[in-house]
Amino acid sequence: MQQNNPQEIRKPSRLVGAWWGPAVGLTGIGLVSAVEIERTSDATREVFFNVDQPWAVYLFLSILTGLLVYGIGRHLTLWALGRPVPGLRQQLGHRLRNAVRLGLAQDKVRRDRYAGIMHWCIFSSIVVLTFVTAQVAIADDLSIHFLEGQYYLFFSFYGDLFGLIGVVGVGMALYRRYFDSYHRIRWDERLEDHAILWGLALVLLTGFAVEAFRINATELDQQPDWARWSFVSWGVASGLDLFDLSESQLLSAHVWGWWSHIVIAFGWLGLIVFTKLDHIFFAPTNAFLLRTDSPGRLTKIENIEEREVFGVGQIQDFTWKQLFELDACVRCGRCSSVCPANLSGQPLSPMHLIQDLKSHLATVGPELQRVGHQNGDVRAVSPVAMVGDVIKDETLWACRTCGACVQECPVMIEHVPTIVDMRRYLVMDEARVPATAQAALENMEVRGHPWRGTALTRDSWMEGFDDVPYFDGTQEYLYWVGCSGSLVERNLPITKSVFRLLRESGASFGVMGQEETCNGDPARRLGNEYLYQILAQQLVDTFKEKNVQKVITNCPHCFNTFKNEYPQFDGHFEVLHHTEFLAKALKDGDLQARHQVTASEMTYHDSCYLGRINGQYDAPRQIIEFLPGTSLTEMKRSRSRGLCCGAGGGNMWQEEIGERRVNHVRSEEAVGTGADSVVSNCPFCIQMFEDGLPAVHPEEEGRMRAFDIAELLEQSVFGPEGGSRATSEVAEAIQ
Amino acid sequence: MHLVVCAKQIPDPETPPAAFRIDSAKNEVIPAQGIAPVLSPFDAQAAEAALRIKEKAGDGKVTVISLGQESAQAAIKQVLAMGADEGVLLSDDAFQGGDSYSTAHALAAAIKKLGDVDAVFCGRQAADWDMGQVGIGIAEELGWPVAIIAKDAQADGGSMVVQRVLADGFETVKMPLPAVVTVSNELGDPRYPKLQQIMQAARKTVTTWGPADLGVDASEIGAAGSRLKLEKLFQPESGAEVELMEGETPAEQAQALAKALRDAKII
Repeated sequence: MQQNNPQEIRKPSRLVGAWWGPAVGLTGIGLVSAVEIERTSDATREVFFNVDQPWAVYLFLSILTGLLVYGIGRHLTLWALGRPVPGLRQQLGHRLRNAVRLGLAQDKVRRDRYAGIMHWCIFSSIVVLTFVTAQVAIADDLSIHFLEGQYYLFFSFYGDLFGLIGVVGVGMALYRRYFDSYHRIRWDERLEDHAILWGLALVLLTGFAVEAFRINATELDQQPDWARWSFVSWGVASGLDLFDLSESQLLSAHVWGWWSHIVIAFGWLGLIVFTKLDHIFFAPTNAFLLRTDSPGRLTKIENIEEREVFGVGQIQDFTWKQLFELDACVRCGRCSSVCPANLSGQPLSPMHLIQDLKSHLATVGPELQRVGHQNGDVRAVSPVAMVGDVIKDETLWACRTCGACVQECPVMIEHVPTIVDMRRYLVMDEARVPATAQAALENMEVRGHPWRGTALTRDSWMEGFDDVPYFDGTQEYLYWVGCSGSLVERNLPITKSVFRLLRESGASFGVMGQEETCNGDPARRLGNEYLYQILAQQLVDTFKEKNVQKVITNCPHCFNTFKNEYPQFDGHFEVLHHTEFLAKALKDGDLQARHQVTASEMTYHDSCYLGRINGQYDAPRQIIEFLPGTSLTEMKRSRSRGLCCGAGGGNMWQEEIGERRVNHVRSEEAVGTGADSVVSNCPFCIQMFEDGLPAVHPEEEGRMRAFDIAELLEQSVFGPEGGSRATSEVAEAIQ
Repeated sequence: MHLVVCAKQIPDPETPPAAFRIDSAKNEVIPAQGIAPVLSPFDAQAAEAALRIKEKAGDGKVTVISLGQESAQAAIKQVLAMGADEGVLLSDDAFQGGDSYSTAHALAAAIKKLGDVDAVFCGRQAADWDMGQVGIGIAEELGWPVAIIAKDAQADGGSMVVQRVLADGFETVKMPLPAVVTVSNELGDPRYPKLQQIMQAARKTVTTWGPADLGVDASEIGAAGSRLKLEKLFQPESGAEVELMEGETPAEQAQALAKALRDAKII
């Protein structure tokens, strides 16, 4: 295989990797400074030079502290409305690492390179300048004279350097906010966004101005060797010379500048209490609170039969972590910019969903607090229903549970569990379900599979094979075909391919045939947790009865629920997706991919539940590497940035509402690579492409083909005549 | 207002053709393995019609009756979960193997036993045999008026206003209560039960009545009371033969095809 656009393969960046740039630069500067500092050893300046009542600063500081306490208190009373969060005290080490990696080091922020640099500039500038200011305060309060000599010069230097870095960051932010009209950060723009940005700009600029006035008045001519260390202000101060200001003018400008700087700086810090600037504290905290288990696992409702309310229909039914998250949102729009529903003009924007819930909490929260939330009923204090009025039903149904929003969120909000909680309310408490989803749910309940009206049975794919082994507990693997692999016409060839490849590899395996039944995944995603628990528990019991230890699945959704969710039902199995098994078989030499396949230029579509949610990006690509005479062109959205095919979260069985269908959008992206085939690993994705490709390319001639990777590997292993999906038919179509 | 819904449990009409088998010797359908029987879809709509009337009135009682085997409990529970108040199962070997007449006879007896019934709702037909006669038979037995194939039914004081589906439109009829209505799919989708209701339904006990409870004559019910005799039950055989036309060129193949079709007197 040949990789056509290797730059598209981006590994998730690591902590070390992202910091080496600034670190090398700063070390270099530090070395030069160390040598240079040797030359001057008596430098210093008067702290609070030219300022009469510096104690006023402490007044501001007390006001600010008071405001912060008030702000946090106000938030706390609202968060306290939520239910307890289970498992918070577990995995503390992991949580602390998250707080450092995702909070302080801002791993997620850097997923957008421009924003990453911008945010790093502003963040580091604020941290260093706060440190600078703190040193001034310590020097004054405790009368410790350490801002002297070599350190004073170094202090002047890094203060100016990080001031400049801050100006660069603010400049980048200004550009993004005012010159990029359609930027995602403007999708929900508010006054506070401007205030925060301009406030910070003014703090930095007045800071430099004050320093420049002081330097011009006291150092520029008197101690030029010292002055140069404050290189930015020194430059400005030198420029001030052109205006030929008198000393008194300079001094009065300095005093005015100094007080404006202080007032603006404290005013800006005060914004933490009232604006999204609170993410300074909330983002690292939310990183600490972030789940430590797989994002592919939804919470289990314990003792479901004894409950009276099943989903979340009122704001106080969320956990306090879910309420806390609402306040962490900074409206950056990353979630919505990657949401498949939003990209297709469908009625869901994760950012607006979070913001709407936040406003709802702010509206009804205080009143709920007053009436006593434990027995509180939002309906008594508010005429609007959270689910239905604040968050529309169709918004909740549009979610694919693909996890792209969760993946991108720089403040670690987990949208998917919140959405599913509200779906649970719709389905179990209100029984308000779109007709098509209802049909799928009823079908799972009555017939044990979601495919209403299928004419196939779970044995249909076995036609033509007389040697399909049934699992009897003696084989190593259970090959789990799944409902889609056996009851949907298009997927039968995939099942046959996987079967033949497993057989060829010499693996010891068996199938369950008619004994298979839905594992419940679609029910859980659609919000019917009760049905899910029944189906899951049944299957866990069956697996145990049959002595199943290892499972190979066709479908990433079965894979995910077996792997990540069945442990909630005491079902612990080793679960492999077929791509993982086949990649290993190829590497071990158990399978030989010798023959040319009917696809030559491919693009690979990461299914959400194998890729983003379970992190398996490589095994399928490794299989493609084994296919002779093929090349791979990655789509722009690939790997962890992959776009959902549109079927996730039960949307396989729903009517789409909106401007476009998600699978048409994704098919366009696939076609855009110029490849002749799109390869994937999921029966839903394949079905979505089979539907989407003709829509974006109506003529049959030259149309892109959709394959499961197992189908191509089968061709390559058994030769052109050996394919299950009448390979000859495919070959003809391509010729 | 006391409304009765008659619900039948049938073999799943969505059984894949490959899994559908009959026993020609016994003239019986062999239950498909692993495919559970379901509530006849039209009966779910009959339940929906009754529940809408109860909801609109703000009070009343809906009783669901099923004649069948013990497994029919599931069909009754499903209607209870939708919102019905009580369930009655007519289950006894004597009830089995009946036709539309003997089934209607038993059901009518059960309705009489309930006493204060204002209206009976049935599906327009059971989706297994598609006879469409039980509802009418019940009305005949009870001497009540009946409106069949309804898309809407509204209680209006002492009468029932029913919109009936005709081949070329609708017809609205008004009949005095008590009455029987058979409901068609045009009524709309039956409701999806709330989980709370499913759990309540699971806790409800279903009353079981046998022939003695109803006071019916054993010769009038089940197989004994049947007036219809099933002569032969069989699966039609379908098949296809493919003959490929010989020929060097498409034109020759087309000629051969034309000739073959003419020989077969198709063209």
